[in-house]
Amino acid sequence: MERKDILNLIIIFMFSVLLIGLLNLDILQGAKFRRQSDNNCIRLIPQSGARGNILDRNGQIIVDSKISYDVMILPQELKRIDQIIGRISRILGVEAKELKAAFRKNFISSSVPVTVATNIDVKKAILLGEYKVEEPSVMVQPKPLRHYPYGPLAVHVIGYLNQIDRWRLTKLEDYGYKTKDIVGFGGVEEKYDYYLRQEEGGLSVEVNHQGKFMRVLGFEAPRNGKDVQLTLDLKIQKIVEEKLAGRKGSIILMDPQTGEILAMASYPNFVPTVFVNNRAALISGLFNNPDAPLINRAISSSYPPASVFKLNVACAALELKKINLATSFLCQGSTMVGARRFSCWDVHGAEDIIQAIAHSCDVFFYKTGLLVGAQNIHDYASKLGLGRNVGFELPYETGGFIPSPLWRRINKFQNWFDGDTANLTIGQGDCLVTPLQAANMTAVFANGGYLLSPYIVKAVGGLDFSAKKKKLTRVNFKKSTFDILSKGLRKVVSDEKGTGNALSFLPVAVAGKTGTAQVSRGANHGWFVGFFPFDKPKFVICVFLENGGSGHAASVVTKQIIEDMNKEGLI
Amino acid sequence: MRNSFFRILVLALIIATIGVLSIYSSTFQKEGVWQGIYMRQALWLIIGLVCFFAISSFNYRKLWDANYFIYGVALFFLFLVFVLGIVRLGAQRWLKFAWFNFQPSEFAKLAIIIFLARYFSRKSADDTSLLSGKFGIFQGIILPFIFVAVPMFLIIEQPDLGSGMMLMLVFVSLLYLTNVRLRYIFILLVSLVLPLPFFWHFLRDYQKQRLLVFLNPNIDPLGAGYTVIQSRIAIGSGGFFGRGWLSGSQSQLYFLPESHTDFIFATFSEQWGFLGSCLLIFIYYLIIRQGFIIAQRTQDTFGRLLAYGISLLLGLQVFINIAMNMGLAPVVGLPLPLMSYGGSSVLATFIALGILVNIDRTRNVF
Repeated sequence: MERKDILNLIIIFMFSVLLIGLLNLDILQGAKFRRQSDNNCIRLIPQSGARGNILDRNGQIIVDSKISYDVMILPQELKRIDQIIGRISRILGVEAKELKAAFRKNFISSSVPVTVATNIDVKKAILLGEYKVEEPSVMVQPKPLRHYPYGPLAVHVIGYLNQIDRWRLTKLEDYGYKTKDIVGFGGVEEKYDYYLRQEEGGLSVEVNHQGKFMRVLGFEAPRNGKDVQLTLDLKIQKIVEEKLAGRKGSIILMDPQTGEILAMASYPNFVPTVFVNNRAALISGLFNNPDAPLINRAISSSYPPASVFKLNVACAALELKKINLATSFLCQGSTMVGARRFSCWDVHGAEDIIQAIAHSCDVFFYKTGLLVGAQNIHDYASKLGLGRNVGFELPYETGGFIPSPLWRRINKFQNWFDGDTANLTIGQGDCLVTPLQAANMTAVFANGGYLLSPYIVKAVGGLDFSAKKKKLTRVNFKKSTFDILSKGLRKVVSDEKGTGNALSFLPVAVAGKTGTAQVSRGANHGWFVGFFPFDKPKFVICVFLENGGSGHAASVVTKQIIEDMNKEGLI
Repeated sequence: MRNSFFRILVLALIIATIGVLSIYSSTFQKEGVWQGIYMRQALWLIIGLVCFFAISSFNYRKLWDANYFIYGVALFFLFLVFVLGIVRLGAQRWLKFAWFNFQPSEFAKLAIIIFLARYFSRKSADDTSLLSGKFGIFQGIILPFIFVAVPMFLIIEQPDLGSGMMLMLVFVSLLYLTNVRLRYIFILLVSLVLPLPFFWHFLRDYQKQRLLVFLNPNIDPLGAGYTVIQSRIAIGSGGFFGRGWLSGSQSQLYFLPESHTDFIFATFSEQWGFLGSCLLIFIYYLIIRQGFIIAQRTQDTFGRLLAYGISLLLGLQVFINIAMNMGLAPVVGLPLPLMSYGGSSVLATFIALGILVNIDRTRNVF
């Protein structure tokens, strides 16, 4: 071959290399480079929709969102930033130093808008909008923020919003959650976050190599979250919180026929706006407060039920035929169980079951309890829904605890003594229930034998599923048992010496049971569980006052609540 | 005979027009002086055409006689650039004239090729056989190397490593095409390659960086590697059909630097995709092939070597430039002939093509 032919071949070879290179870039890797090209010049400016509202049972708004405005700057030309910030600071009436600090803190890169001020009001937003005409790199971005028209009302039911934490993120990543997302913490906000949360939309814009805005490529409207309708009645909730205010504790009102929670309050509470405004000092104050204001006492903490537990003991005794209506025990103020003396809170004399419930006679129940046996008491408590999760929708429900001989032997390698049984019968010792469980048990007596599964969310996005939520479980007790119990519960109020006599002067007939739990430290806990109107129960109420003194105090609170409800014609 | 004239003219015009359009597309969104830049290129194109017509009817044999003069003038301008570069303490490739910048190295490449063609086509006086077959190592390699090395050194010092290296490649190819013994060429290549590690120290920092970046563009994605990365994105994002006229985001939104000069191929390719780019490369190949055909049918050794030299010059520039656009070659400041913005390059290329056509036209004289 001649030299010129070889050279010719070399040239052909070189040009083939070019074609193969083109093939590689355009065809084999074309998609990748197209994506990189888009990444270069397309920026997304997110626009968030509003989070779903939370409504009460009548459709009234408990929590909604209101628009606030963020000011952002597209940092294209650094030289002009100072000038722009100066202008903005004059319009907003904020010091330029603050804006500059925010700018420095939030700056990511020259092509991403930097937020310099948040939550400005409409007037200033309009003023800035006018400025935007001459300075297009200033952006006013509407951002819906959680708005709490009633402040801390029902805050434990609703929960609060905050930036997603790492634990939640690992759990929720697969559902499209991202870092820095705002998600619900506690209550409905957490449990129904997926429905409540808005879908982000936004503008996609084309920028040049300096990040300078060129044109709008597309807009996807943000979508609002779905509304969640609760079973709460705003009016009742307001009354309840008003009466509870200042006392530690929890109040629950429930519909005994369906299990709808009409009101659920817990105190101390907090104002959820501190999380919206991200007030660090206030937030850390909430977390460090020994009174634990973030805890929903209605479901997330359990307490000794005290005399309220006697209802369970009475049921067990009647069902197991250990006692009947004719049985009576003599109360002399105390009784010996084994070698220990267990005292009653008063001297009651001879009492039958109805009187014993009305007067909350401890001696009667010590003796009854010993007849029934601890394991039976535990089993019946379980039938009435005590000491186990009620399966409530809100997160962080605790189960409470009912001790039993079996449990103690297995877990503690200890024997069970009669003294423990005596303690158990009056709901002391290791016995712990949540206020919601107490209310749920009371509902069984109010509706004549159905254990409910309480629920608080009625509808999501307009789709009512209360029919699905309503779940009644028949409690297989004899009718006579329920009759005796409800008679006893009524007596608590109607009897002159009944522990709940404070409620007897109300225009509505109330039945219920008080409880005073002794605690190792501090004042006694006060309980009142009951239902009204007696003939046709529409409400089950559970008032629990942590260190509130006594069951009497709880019944007084109950009285005030019923009075107010009556005044407003809610009964 | 008229055939090659028209073919080359049409092919060159197609490419030059594509070049003007690409320059327009890469600068139409810029403000100020950039707006009219494609007009200037169009003007250079017209001047280039005039030169093409003039040179094509100017007997190339006269270059034989003017050879030393041309070489001297080229050397003089290169030296002028070199001196001014020293005075200004910086990179200097241009000489500023009244309203344009004159880049002597573009013309010097041509001058060196003319000189080499002349050198290797000398005939002995007695039997009119080529002298180059009888050249020893001094006459065949060392002497022409010195003649090439002087302007090459001045060009590399500008600094324009790309043009310098390309001259060396053209030189070696021409040596190969003459009757110089392969052994000598081999010796030359070895003695050029061996001291390369030594030359590394003489490279400027940015040149070293470019070579390193060529090996791995990602070592400095926002600095030296930026251009290659953006250029590859531009070419690749074109896909098969391209993004369409004026719709290339890489070049039109200036992510791609030098989108109207050295990286004009990426600008073109982004808009016209695989299809357009293949076509463009093919047209370039056709021109070079035309040059080779002219060289092969020319009886005159001077004309043949000149035609080969010009074709190789064009082919190597096209190859190196497009390869560097695709990240297959290190980034060196080589324009894409006929397409890149720049009057000197357009003018030099048209003059070269004019000579080529004239060789074909006058070959029958002998």
